[in-house]
Amino acid sequence: MKALQIPAVVIALIVLAAVPWFGSDVLVQFGINALLLGVLAQGWNIIGGYTGYASFGNSVFYGLGSYGVGIAMVQWELPFAVGLAFGVVLSVAFAILLGIPVLRLKGHYFAIATLALAQVMTAIVSNVKLAGQNIGLVLPPLNNDLLFYELALGLLVVATLTIYWLSRSRFGFGLIAIRENEEGAAVMGVNTTLYKVLAFALSGVFSALAGGIHAYWVTFIDPESAFDISLNVKMIIMAVFGGPGTVFGPIIGALSLSAVSEFLSSEITSIAGLFFGVVVVAAVVLMPRGLADMLRRFRTTGWRYFAENIKATRL
Amino acid sequence: MDLLAQILINGILLGGLYAVMALGLALVWGVLNIVNLAHGAFIMLGAYVSWHLYTYAHIDPFLGLPITAVVMFILGYALQRGLLNLVVRAPMFNTLLITFGLEVVLTYLAQLAFSADFRTINPSYAGNSIQFGAIVLPLARLMAFGVAIVLTVAMWLFLLHTRLGRAIRATAQNLVAARLYGVEPRHLYAVTFGIGIGLAGAAGGLYGTVSQINPYIGATLTAKSFAIAIIGGLDNPLGVIVGGLFLGIVESLTALYIGPTFADVASFGVLVLVLIVRPSGLLGKTA
Repeated sequence: MKALQIPAVVIALIVLAAVPWFGSDVLVQFGINALLLGVLAQGWNIIGGYTGYASFGNSVFYGLGSYGVGIAMVQWELPFAVGLAFGVVLSVAFAILLGIPVLRLKGHYFAIATLALAQVMTAIVSNVKLAGQNIGLVLPPLNNDLLFYELALGLLVVATLTIYWLSRSRFGFGLIAIRENEEGAAVMGVNTTLYKVLAFALSGVFSALAGGIHAYWVTFIDPESAFDISLNVKMIIMAVFGGPGTVFGPIIGALSLSAVSEFLSSEITSIAGLFFGVVVVAAVVLMPRGLADMLRRFRTTGWRYFAENIKATRL
Repeated sequence: MDLLAQILINGILLGGLYAVMALGLALVWGVLNIVNLAHGAFIMLGAYVSWHLYTYAHIDPFLGLPITAVVMFILGYALQRGLLNLVVRAPMFNTLLITFGLEVVLTYLAQLAFSADFRTINPSYAGNSIQFGAIVLPLARLMAFGVAIVLTVAMWLFLLHTRLGRAIRATAQNLVAARLYGVEPRHLYAVTFGIGIGLAGAAGGLYGTVSQINPYIGATLTAKSFAIAIIGGLDNPLGVIVGGLFLGIVESLTALYIGPTFADVASFGVLVLVLIVRPSGLLGKTA
């Protein structure tokens, strides 16, 4: 990290942490959502951005985290923290049990297999008695947006520090090697199966924690919303728009797209959903390496940046 | 025993429809190397085109299929020519993402234009059926099955025996060599994608006669089409018939013995299992 960046990050963090004291209730609620989406985007960044395995099923972890908290607090009357831990355990178990077979698949096959898993989970959870079946679970209310905001911010900081560690550790280099050339990585002595499963599980831990916090905050979960497939859309788009495989890209993507989406949905409700689709189509064509890369190179290349991206991939 | 026979018949009739759903996906994937995550959304759009033709112009859904297919072909051609051709040489992940984005866009536009209400295409003969002893064959499903099989076989013959079909197969095998023999790739890619989307549209029209449609059916249909293409392999259009029948029967049996809510679980479970055991498809050549 460059010398100038550290103070900038610290100041941004202090401002973000202080938002509940000067911002309105609406801003704080928007903040909780945006920060949790940031955590999801960072979680996806570990498996999709660094390891190069495009998971379309990370919403499963989010749902397991939600239900971990829900089941622990409603059915067993345990404290919130135990519920979070339970959700994490469920996610890690899922990442190991299904990750080992599914992570053997490459490219399209992995993407679709995870998409299919995400669709299966809704149907399965809808039939589990402990999880309240179709009806869902109602959690004990805790009207404390300040707490949820700071929890979400804290989680995002931990997730980002983890990714920062990835970007300069042996483990992280192993993941990048897998992304660039998996056979090459294996030849160099990277235990690819272990690394991939660990990355999948780590990605799942953060998604599950985000899901758990969200569940307690909204105090109600049902299979449709907890395992919402469109959440995958959002986290992938945010990570890719910001810059997959970078430390800060997914956060920038999550906060900026959340803000634009929130603004659009308050102005023209029907356009807001369309927005994410249009952004991802435009981003893939014009800036496939994300906002972070564009900002860095736009200064030297100007508008040619977009033309060059198109030229590189068109038929 | 009669119940089991009836369930198997239902599964087979459903499977024919599944086959034609997957046909376009398999074609685009095999030739263009694009896994079109918006495929189900195009099926959904095709169903709406058919529904509009039937509701407002009173065109029989089966007679209207060619119109639906042509409309969808034009849409597919334009999208490939104007947009997807820009990213065909990008890494696989980018083409997955862009079609994923298209899915979101198409679903939202459909919701704005057609509302989220359930629609059905109900011609006067929809309730008719043919009786064989204890077994009932619903007429609409039987016709949809027949059309689906005809379309799939026609596609197979087209790829084998026509000039355009040979150009498409040549491109799938080796783009550079095909180019040397005079294939114009931008046009040919657009035609291939157009045919894929036209088939998806026709499948949607058939789907609308046997099931309810709404703007959100796309994602599930994409995953099912993918499962069928995987089971059948990409080498031969007739593979999707096997894949479709297999999936249709598995779903029907699951709905009977385990419960209707588990039908989708079964089909995706099959998908994941097949992927893990034989990623090149049950019938496909080993990679």
